[in-house]
Parts: sequence; C-alpha cells; structure tokens
Amino acid sequence: MSRVYSIEENGSETNRVKKFFQKDFSQLIIFAIPMVFLAVFLLYPLASTLIRAFWAPSEGLEFSGWSLEGFRQFLESNMYRKSLYNSFVISIAVTFFTLLIGVPMGYCVARVKMPCKTLILSLGILPIIMPSFVGAYTWVILLGNKGIVRIFLNWLLKPFGVTVPSIYGMFGMILCMTLTYYPFVFQLSYGAFAGANALLEESAMLMGAKKGRIMRTITFPLIMPSLGAAALLVFVRAIGNFGIPAVIGGNNYVLPTLIYFEMNGFWNINGASSIAVVNVAITALVLYIQKYVVARHEYETISATHTDVKLHESTGAKVFATVFCLIILVMSLLPQLTIIVMSFFKRWDGLLPTGFTFEYYTRIPRYSHKEMFNSFFLSITATLLCAVLGSIVAYITERKKPKGAALLDLSLMAPFILPGTVVSIALLSAFSGSSAIRLTGTYVIIIISYMIRRTPYVYRSVCASLTQLNPSLEEASTISGATWFYTFRRVSVPLILPAIISGSILTLTTLLQELSTTILLYAGNTRTVPIQIYSAVQNGKLGQASALSVILLVVVFAIIYAMNRRKGGDMSSSFKM
Amino acid sequence: MSKNVRYENVNKIYSEGTKNAVHALKDVSFTINQGELFCLLGPSGCGKTTLLRSTAGLEQISSGKMYYGDVDISTIPPYKRNIGMVFQSFALYPHMSVFENVAYGLRVRKTPNDIVIKKVTEVMELVGLQEELKRNPSPTALSGGQQQRVAIARALVYDPDVLLLDEPLANLDAKLRRYMRAEIRRIQKATNITTIFVTHDQEEAMAVGDRLAVLRKGIVEQIGSSDELYNRPKNAFVANFIGKMNFFNAKAVSVSSSETVAQIDGTSIKLTIPAEKCRFTPKTGDSVLIGGRPEHLIVSKENSEGSIRGKVHIIQHLGSFIRYEVDIDKGISPVTLEIDMDSMQKDIHENSEVFVNFKNDKLALFSPEGREL
Repeated sequence: MSRVYSIEENGSETNRVKKFFQKDFSQLIIFAIPMVFLAVFLLYPLASTLIRAFWAPSEGLEFSGWSLEGFRQFLESNMYRKSLYNSFVISIAVTFFTLLIGVPMGYCVARVKMPCKTLILSLGILPIIMPSFVGAYTWVILLGNKGIVRIFLNWLLKPFGVTVPSIYGMFGMILCMTLTYYPFVFQLSYGAFAGANALLEESAMLMGAKKGRIMRTITFPLIMPSLGAAALLVFVRAIGNFGIPAVIGGNNYVLPTLIYFEMNGFWNINGASSIAVVNVAITALVLYIQKYVVARHEYETISATHTDVKLHESTGAKVFATVFCLIILVMSLLPQLTIIVMSFFKRWDGLLPTGFTFEYYTRIPRYSHKEMFNSFFLSITATLLCAVLGSIVAYITERKKPKGAALLDLSLMAPFILPGTVVSIALLSAFSGSSAIRLTGTYVIIIISYMIRRTPYVYRSVCASLTQLNPSLEEASTISGATWFYTFRRVSVPLILPAIISGSILTLTTLLQELSTTILLYAGNTRTVPIQIYSAVQNGKLGQASALSVILLVVVFAIIYAMNRRKGGDMSSSFKM
Repeated sequence: MSKNVRYENVNKIYSEGTKNAVHALKDVSFTINQGELFCLLGPSGCGKTTLLRSTAGLEQISSGKMYYGDVDISTIPPYKRNIGMVFQSFALYPHMSVFENVAYGLRVRKTPNDIVIKKVTEVMELVGLQEELKRNPSPTALSGGQQQRVAIARALVYDPDVLLLDEPLANLDAKLRRYMRAEIRRIQKATNITTIFVTHDQEEAMAVGDRLAVLRKGIVEQIGSSDELYNRPKNAFVANFIGKMNFFNAKAVSVSSSETVAQIDGTSIKLTIPAEKCRFTPKTGDSVLIGGRPEHLIVSKENSEGSIRGKVHIIQHLGSFIRYEVDIDKGISPVTLEIDMDSMQKDIHENSEVFVNFKNDKLALFSPEGREL
C-alpha cells in the first residue's frame, strides 16, 4: 500500500531520481528473498530431476545422453511393475479404509453427546504426529509371526477357519498406514460435521425430509469438499510413505522404497529420477481429480445466522459412538503403548515381555548425543526458516495478489504432494557431484529439504488466517501514518502470529520424526534420531529403537500438549491444500 | 490544522487497458471547504467509496489532481498524508488494548509517552469513553457503539488534516445509528476537522452533512445542502434518490420564459409549471417528466377535474403519515406511485379504485434522461 504514486511522469530527471530514493524498498527486499530461495532450491532441483529422468541410467552424475531407459523399466522390470502396482493398491486401499473409519468417527464425535470429546480429538491426532515407521515395527511385535495379538486372534478365529495374515507385506502396510493416516479424515470430517450450519438441516426437516434423506441430500453434499480434501491428503501421504514399507514391506517394494533402492544400491540418480517422475505424475493426477471433480462441488455457505447442531442423545447412539471411537483409538495408539513397554524390557517373544531394564535409556547419552543434537538443531533451524518463508509468501499471495500469485502458490504447495524421497532426489540431482553448488552431506541440504517440504504448513495456516483478516486493519495503520514495514511489524505479524505458531508447531513435530527425506541426504555426521531408530530396527536392536522412539514421542507430545493449552490453536488449516 | 480538499478532473479506471476496464470516477472536480462535514452519497457502485479511498491514497487515481489545502497530494503515499479514517468494519486491532488502539497513530509519530497519555485521554473524553479508558479492555469487549467511538478517537488523536468516514454507521443497529450520526456531527463540529462522510443512506447523509454530493456511475450529479438537494434537485435521478419522487410521463405543449405547460400522456390533464420549477428547458412537443413528492399528491375517492384514475395496491401506516401505493396507467407511470396522506382516508382500502390529484404549486418538471437509479 505504500507505493509512491506516479500519476503524471512530467517531473524532471532529478525529480525522478528523488522519487526513486523516496520509494519504500523494504517491501521489495523482503519479498525478493523467498522468491530467490524458491527458484534456486525448489524449481531448479525439480527441473533438474525432470531432465535427469530422461537420461540413461549411470553410476555417476555425468550427462549420458537422452533415453527413456528409466521409464522402460516400468514395462520390463518385474520389480518396477510390482512396485507401481503395490503403490497403487496400497494408496487406494488406505484412502478407502481411512474414509471408512474416519468419517463415522468424525460424525460420532461431532454429533453424538459423548464424554471426553476433547481428549478423543487430542488422542485422535497423535498417530499422524508420531513417527509412522516406529508404529510399523511395533506391529511386528504385536502381529509378527510370534506376536501376541496374532496368536490371540488366531486362537479366536480358529473356529471360523480364518488366520491373520502376516504383518510383513501388503496387509501389514495397509493396516499400518490406515491406522496412521485416519486422523486426517477424522479431524477434517469432524470439523465439517461440527461446523455445518444446523439451520440447513433443520429447514430440510421442517420441509418434511426424514433423517436418511437429510443425510443424503444436505449433510453429505456439504461435507464432500472436506472429505475430498482429506482423501487426497491420505492418498498423497500413503503413496509417498517410505518408513512403513521400508520396515515391514519386505520384498514388496513401493515407489519410494524403490527410489531408495536405486539410490542406495546403485547411486543411480537418473533411474531414481524416472521413478520420482512417475510417482509425482500419479500424485498430480489424483490432485487434479480432487481439484476439478470434487472441489467443483464446493459451496459458499449463505447464511446470516448460525446455530449449533443438535446432538444425538439416545443411549444407543452414545454407547455405539463411545465404543467405536475407543476401539479405533486403542488400535491406533497400541503401537505407541507397546513401544513404551518395550523400551523397558530386553525381550518380548511370548505373551509378556521379560528382562526389565533401564539400560536402553542410560545408553542414550553415550550413543545418541550426536543424533539428538542433529535432530533438534536441524528441525528447529528449519522450522524457524519455514515460519519466515511461509508467512512472507502467504502475505504476498494473499495481500499483494501479484500477477502470477497462482503460480507462486502452486510452486510453494508442490512439495506438499511430493514424496519425501522425491524431494531428496531433486536436491541431490541439483546439488551433488559436479554441480556448481555442492551440498551433499551437509546440514544445509537437509535444512533446505525440510524447508521445501514443510513450508506449506505455515503457508497454508497463514493464508487461512489472512483471508479471515480484514485488510482495513492494515489500511487503518497506513492511514495513521505507518510505513509498510511498521504496519507489517505492528499489525500484520501480531495478528497472524497464532497461525504462524500453529503451522510451526506442526512443522517442528513432523520434522523431529522425519525419515523419508533425511534417509537419502544424511551423512555420518548429520545423522538424525529417526535414522538411528531406523537402522536400529533394521539391525534388530528393538530395545534401543524403542527407547529412542519414546524420547521422540515424549518430546512431540509435550510440544503438542503445550500448543493445545494455548487458546485458539488450530492446526486443521495447515493440513488443507 | 484542518484543510480544504480539492479535486481536479479526477479519473479512476480499474483494470485500465483491459476488456474489463471500469470507469469508476469520471472527471470529478469539486472543493470541500475547510471544517466542513461533507457527505458523499450514491447508490452502491456509484464511485463514492472509490473517491474516498483515493482521497486516502489507498487507491491510485488514473489521472487528475487532488489537493489538501495548496498541497498536491496525488503522488504522496497514504502514510504521509496525515489523514484520519474510520472504516466500516472499524478495523480495531484485537491484539491491542483500547488505549493502544487509540494511541497507535501517535506511536507511529514517535510522540513522547506523556503527550500520548494526555492526547488519548482528551480524545476519549471527546468521544465519551473516559470510563472505558480507565478499564482499558480489549476492543473486542466493547459494544458496537463503543467500538465506533474508539475508531473515531483513533482517527482523531493525531489531529489529521482531513477525516474520512467510510460508511461508519453501516454496522450498527437502526437506533444506535440515529444516535451515532448526531454524535459524529457533534464531534466533527467540536474538532472542526474537514470531514468526508460516505454513505448510501440518503436520510443519514441529509441528517449529518453540511453539504452533500450525489454520485452516480462515477459522475457527481449535484452538490448542495440537504435543503437544496431535496427542494431543488437538478435532475430526476437526484430527485428520486434524495427522498422519493413520483414521475408522470408528459409532453410539453407550450413553453414560455415564465412557465411551461405540460400535458400528461394519454389524458387531457394539463399542468402549468413555473420556470423556477423547471429543471430543464424543453421545446414544445418534447417528452418531459412531471415530478411530485409523495406529499405533493392527493388520493381521494371522488373523481374531480384533472385527476388520474388508479387502484390502491398497498396501504402502510408509518406513524405520522399514511403511505398509499397506487397503480395507475403504465403509460403514465410504469412504477407504483407513493402518496403520503396525513390521515387514513375514509372508504379507501387496498384494491379500492381511487383518483390521484396534484398540489399544483409543488410540482416540478424534469428531463426524462436518467430517471432510473
């Protein structure tokens, strides 16, 4: 708003120079920084990946000629074909099952009068903020070949001639991901059911519609956009998940683990790029479907008044809702509980763990101090930078609405749908080997990858808060005589601060448990706790892995808890696209 | 120090040079006197808010010049213009206390703290919020009327050259609105700051403003006091926007320097309008509009010389008068007439056949151009 007006360019040369220096450049400088960052560390790496995808596979990074070799693998190699197939099946199945359990749960909590709603909502968000691969390997303990739950279930199901399939493989991956990602559907559908204007349903009732009809013709159409967004979120996460397939996938590769396999096994960055491109293409297609098919049915609510929905109060509904939510919560939180138990015991083969010990914890300072430092240093640094970058870009796109704002929005949000392994590949392809800026093995490359992947959280959260914020608040400040920067500091930032904080908290908690990006970027001295946990699991050191996971769990939980104590903290807008 | 505000050929074109270009202000030129409370009035989309925001510098004008006193402010950014503005939404900062909200403009100007306290206290007394200032709550804890006063106090505290009010009463309920408009006039007169008040409510504008400008489609139709605009509207648009005016299609049958005689279409009724009531000079045979305010017409059961047959559509009892809405021949008036009578008329009910008559000395003559809003 502080642009100097130049209505008639009839001023002399000196006048023009004077005008130039009178301009308020603080705005321009602040806006330029994120642009440069995005161009160098996002667009350039992505372009580089896209180009490499069409190069012949090579062990090094030198240019080896155009080729479709990388893509041909999907037709010729059994392993590639199988990975593609697995990725598809898992993502679709997980999306389906999360909707199946998340929507009823959202409805129950929103529309049934039941106890401990806040607790259910808080517990219901835990699975997505806990390291998912940690959950995966605890299922090995519970449902593995000698797992207690498996033995129990098999005994229970024996009369029906059914046996529980092994946790290793498709069943396990789908189960783990469903229990990890259902919170997205649960939280978003809860928000939609609770936020719906009761007057709309009441008016339908007064016009003679029965409950089923209201549900079908009013309630569901209005929450469809939320469900679509949630389904998309789950699909994108599921197809990009690295940790769960890496831990319990066994020979069942999916695209992210295939990328890791190509990179780790053969340092075939061009081949990995091809897989990455295919992975992204699928995600983009689904995003397109969501945006143009589901989102078309988005409605603006036209109403002056708003009343709260009436809750179901019958005993039957209460009991059903409580039991249903409880079962889901117990199942999804079972891994976290198991881990806590296991971190105190040496062995857990039979029904009960044996050999109580504190050893795993006492060893942490000695064996993991470097990893602890790395994890916190990298996550906190990246979070602070994300907060700055995300807020500024959100401010630009929402307030300044420059030409190309949509493009800016798209490029910032792109990493949201990119699997972590793909981001790593992009950064590696741009900044390793013979490239001008060489960053492999440094803290910098990990921080950049974190920023690229997590800035959307803050960005979305701040965008949502800015759209709610009347621009006249800022205009009032300008009118009072404040320069752009003063207004930004004293009015804009304080008002969007809650959004910045909630986005940052989400960023920090997810970064502390980040595995899929880090696994391709870390070097000996930049190893993080999740990497250490992962390799401990691979080496069968479950006790050490558990103890470290418990530490992560406690830290993450403490952060979330502290944030929930703060009034008005709402993370849901950070999830949306 | 309060200043006058002068516009010279101000034009504002949105998305200039594209297909969707909107010419929001067309050659606007007029002067608002020092210390005046000036209303910009017009239907939505008339350009009144654009003109106000351009005056503030929140919109960039496409051509022309604007002056505060002798200073050309067209190229001065808004934060250097020293203006106060009250927004429709009040735009109070929820993250600051009432005191800090009001003090904001002083803090921006790096005013010493003791002066800040003094000035805030003074201005809060002026707007009648001294009690609230002692408690100093968050502005969200105040009622609508109090928030309005805080917004005014915040705009006044640093002695702006010009005070701008953008539909300041639109967010208040009807009763409070009537009260606050008197308050705004009191405060404006007490400070004597040149004030521009934007509204779409003609009653509010007439009640508050020293002078009013009626805008339509980016053009200033007429400027004058409430009395001038009501009793001597320049054209059919202003006549019908400031209060209600009923129009009758007619033809000029004889035109002289002292009067015009017009015959209402499809009837033999001839009305003589003195020249000072003719808002334009027609030629014999031209289409004209005869204008009569609701109180200038009479509705009766009896057919008399020079009356028009009609049918009562709706009767509304509005307290001090009764409004009869009467449909007459669409060729004479395509819209329903509104006729105000001092008392309920005997034997006239909804759907009754009635006769409309004129208080001949009150009628005015308009050009048929632009009668619609």
